[in-house]
Amino acid sequence: MRDVLSTFLASKAQADKNFFVLSGDHGYALFDEIRKKAPDQFINTGVTEQAMVGAAAGMAKTGKKVVIYGLSAFIPMRVLEFIKMNICYEKLPVIILGDGAGTVYTTLGASHQCGEDVACLKTLPVKIFSPADKHEMELCLKEASTLNMPSYIRIGKSDKPEVHTQNKPTKLSSIISLQKTSSETAIFATGSMVSTAKIISEKYNLSLYSCPILSFYDSDEVLIALKKYKNIITMEEHSIYGGLGSNIADLIAENGLNGKLTKFGIKEYFTKGCGSYEYAIKFHKLDFEYLDAKIKTICSL
Amino acid sequence: MISPTNLRKTILCMAFNAKSVHIGCAFSLVEIAHVLYSKFVDTKKLQSLAPDRDYVCLSKGHGVMAIYASLYELGMIKKDEIENYFSDGSSLTGLADSHVPGIEVSGGSLGQGITVATGIALSKKIDNAPSKIFCIVGDGELNEGSAWEAIMIAAHRQLNNFILIVDANGFQAMGRCESVLCMESFKARFEAFNFETIECDGHDVNALETNLSKLVNSSSSKPKALIARTVKGKGVSFMENDNIWHYTRLTQETYQKALSELK
Repeated sequence: MRDVLSTFLASKAQADKNFFVLSGDHGYALFDEIRKKAPDQFINTGVTEQAMVGAAAGMAKTGKKVVIYGLSAFIPMRVLEFIKMNICYEKLPVIILGDGAGTVYTTLGASHQCGEDVACLKTLPVKIFSPADKHEMELCLKEASTLNMPSYIRIGKSDKPEVHTQNKPTKLSSIISLQKTSSETAIFATGSMVSTAKIISEKYNLSLYSCPILSFYDSDEVLIALKKYKNIITMEEHSIYGGLGSNIADLIAENGLNGKLTKFGIKEYFTKGCGSYEYAIKFHKLDFEYLDAKIKTICSL
Repeated sequence: MISPTNLRKTILCMAFNAKSVHIGCAFSLVEIAHVLYSKFVDTKKLQSLAPDRDYVCLSKGHGVMAIYASLYELGMIKKDEIENYFSDGSSLTGLADSHVPGIEVSGGSLGQGITVATGIALSKKIDNAPSKIFCIVGDGELNEGSAWEAIMIAAHRQLNNFILIVDANGFQAMGRCESVLCMESFKARFEAFNFETIECDGHDVNALETNLSKLVNSSSSKPKALIARTVKGKGVSFMENDNIWHYTRLTQETYQKALSELK
């Protein structure tokens, strides 16, 4: 996933002298390619996230195409108001990349983990993407770079297995079907959780959808899918408040659907203690064993 | 012709009609606005939005009435917009808002406009454009850490097209800067941050013009800072250095009294 991103940034910069990538001293090897191929178009502003967002807006206002990068705990969390006033209010098509979303940086503690980014950004006019693998990432980057509005690409755990192993998606949509079955239960998952959802949906023969867009999506398309199921399960490495699960809950409630919703996501705000990524995922009850047992029960009801 | 007296009269008219606050914040930067728009900014290009135009970015958004008054003199804001300030659905807000033509950055949230102005300067520097980017900040506003992030970026990137003007009126919302959060000496501070820095009387039109000329024409690769020593509420005796005029609205009586001083 990160290779796709790295290559995209370098090739965009090479193709367009007006294309710039700004980082607040984060990213390291991710930017090796662009620094080699278009060194003047990669700008490390230093550890200055707030000024970086403002500067990106100033550059975009004067016609530059700008991508800003940071860890999601900082971009967008630390700089939310700068994004609101200088990018959103100005309707600037800046692409915001938030890396390490969810519990990726478990060993570094609460400061570097981020389960709130989508919820915080969702009230602003920003199109939010949450790719599950390199194929979705490619499509998200492509779409974000054609938009006339701000966008945010949430980059979670990037070394999870590919989810589109058979039919590679050729176009982005709000939901991408990964498995169609006659089951009354469907899982809607996003980002890093799609690969776990895939194993479980195959095991219990459930329908599965990947959700790479979390705002400004085609709700008609999602509604048509939701109407088919008695049990609807959502999975995300993000707070259960304000993320994918909340999107689906809104649609079910606003449209009077009968589906029973079960949301799996981050409920405990902060990971207790230090440990591996697997430890954090287990702490937040997003590990395969926990979900497997829960979903088995849901299916047998 | 943008005269300081006319600007102050327009500000009073706006503030009285709208029952608006922030008169003191606007009055302190009147001469700065007068000199910039009269002597340093190609206002024809400003109005045509030419790519090589100059920029006046008001980061201390609370002083926006001084800029509205200037844009009115330039014909970029209409008379009815001035007269109907704050009426329902009107276009001019109480703090600098970039949706208004001529207002380059949204300066309502302090410490933000300066970051955007830095980005504009960086972009113009990359393009080798002749544009000059003037950015007006308040001394109170410089409490914001983000302002210093922008200042560091401007210095590191050698943005010599970036001219920061500190409207140093010595007050911030709750009191004197020196008692709220003392940041003096600004001159030493900006020099330490690698800005070419000059300090002068911010109400002396000739001093402003001379010193801004020095900075604009300097061959140094450093960004520039002008510490303009100003008086909050300048121009009306009972408003000068009285921070109550950050918050107080004009009555018919105080309006007439203030107008009578502006001859």
